[in-house]
Amino acid sequence: VRPPEATRLLSYAFSAVTAAFLAALASLLAWQSVAVWRREGLGYLTGTRWFFRVPEFGAAPMVYGTLAVAVLALLLAAPVALGAAVFTAEYLAPRPRALVKSLVELLAGVPSVVYGLLGVLLLRDWVYRLLERFDVLSGDTLLTAGVLLAVMVLPTIMTLSDDALRAVPGVQREAARSLGMTRAEAILRVSLPAAAPGIVAALLLGLGRALGETIAVFLVVGRQDNQWPQRLASLRPLLDSGQTLTSKLGGSETHIAYGDPLHWAAMAGLGVILLALVGTVTLAAAWLARRGSAAHA
Amino acid sequence: VLLMRAAVWTLAALGLAGPLSAEVLKINGSTTVNLAAAEAAEILKAEKGLQVQVDTQGGSSGGISMLGDGLVQIGMISKPLSDADRAKYPKVKFNPIAVGEDAVALIVSPDVWQGGVHALSQAQMRDIYEGRVTNWKGVGGPDQRIVFFNKEPGRGTWEVFAHWLYGDAKKAPPVSFREVGANEEARNKVASTRGALSQLSASWADGKTVYALGLKDDAGSVAEPTSANIRAGRYPMSRTLALVTNGSPQGDAKAFVEFMLGKRGQDLMRKHGYLGVDELGGAGK
Repeated sequence: VRPPEATRLLSYAFSAVTAAFLAALASLLAWQSVAVWRREGLGYLTGTRWFFRVPEFGAAPMVYGTLAVAVLALLLAAPVALGAAVFTAEYLAPRPRALVKSLVELLAGVPSVVYGLLGVLLLRDWVYRLLERFDVLSGDTLLTAGVLLAVMVLPTIMTLSDDALRAVPGVQREAARSLGMTRAEAILRVSLPAAAPGIVAALLLGLGRALGETIAVFLVVGRQDNQWPQRLASLRPLLDSGQTLTSKLGGSETHIAYGDPLHWAAMAGLGVILLALVGTVTLAAAWLARRGSAAHA
Repeated sequence: VLLMRAAVWTLAALGLAGPLSAEVLKINGSTTVNLAAAEAAEILKAEKGLQVQVDTQGGSSGGISMLGDGLVQIGMISKPLSDADRAKYPKVKFNPIAVGEDAVALIVSPDVWQGGVHALSQAQMRDIYEGRVTNWKGVGGPDQRIVFFNKEPGRGTWEVFAHWLYGDAKKAPPVSFREVGANEEARNKVASTRGALSQLSASWADGKTVYALGLKDDAGSVAEPTSANIRAGRYPMSRTLALVTNGSPQGDAKAFVEFMLGKRGQDLMRKHGYLGVDELGGAGK
């Protein structure tokens, strides 16, 4: 076999290993969770009551909690991250840009338990004191988790958006300027639209990270079951404690469930839901990113 | 899990097919004691090659009956041996050896304590746990909503609490409160939240950031979770954790008991939030 052939074969083989691993993971979780789907049916997704001693398994409040904190994190982090990305990509000279970027990427690498502890020590108390007039009962709220997650996903979104903006060819900017646009106009009319798919991909990857984050959320979300909001559009539930898929999976129930087939299936089912959520978001991001780079090619 | 279980069974089968002559030390009983005992067994397996099997079939009662039937050499119990147990197995010389004590305090935040709530009765605690009372006013305290941080289920601390409140942890009604896990987390969150209440291992209630309530009995007298009260059995939300043998322990059973009573065994007990046997004789807090 000639060398290029070997390279190609090896890369196929390694890709196959990755794909097989993912498939094995997904099917193992799905298989383990069969018992709960069989018992609760679709009610497992839509049910709002989870009492493992009864037993009764409805995962909707946890799906709500997961989506609420992740979307909140995205809404808070996106404007700041985009602003920073425009600054580094469009205004900074190459050397300071590299420095700022590596600092931001350093932030992305901080272990999440560190953020979690900072959340417990500072953020919980800030939220508690700041929102006292709104009658919050404790600092453990969905809002606290959302703010903490925003800080955690900000570096990811910022650095990937910066990459997307830098991928827009300089010729386009020059053309815009030569047509008499100001720098700000060139950014708004040319760079941002051209980088849009990449920026959306960055946002989605940030969202994916927020959905899957466990320990930091675990420490500040309150881990209160069955917090299904009376009105889905209301913001009030964000000031209450809640439970996310990850905080549930990270808690003691996983140990209790071990040995009880139905309870175990219910926990594995949460893994399936989480995998489906994160998988969808990540695939969408990958697809957009590919479309973005194809547009510049 | 099934794969793992299959692997465990295969290993177990291989183990059984192997040296049958070597006596396996079998231990069974309370899940509360098991937390520390199972870890001790792992250490003894690794360090001394001891063959130990620790199980929790039937909890404390299972430990007593299997010891009585001669199926295990050591029982683990988190409730006292009754006369009925002894009467059921007249030939067995039950020998309980205390390895620690599991006392749980109800702790409150400073504002609740300063607001005058220093003790709760079982009935009051049930009202709170079942959601009938949601304001400290309802139990003679300040006008402040109760923020109850429930110890997560499966923790020894929660088991003791539920056992005290409902006689049996399985009878505790299903509830959804904010949950806390490790002792540090419970103490930190109660200390920093007004109107907070939680269950915490008594050894963690420091009386500075959080305050331990006394428990009021039906006659109205109050028992505080001091070491003296716990030792004398006057504090009800507490259990002695013990190993039981038939007569004095021999051979591997003796090695196991000695390990549990030694420094490392006692450290394991403390790691799981229990009081060690030496602390039972200590000064009151």
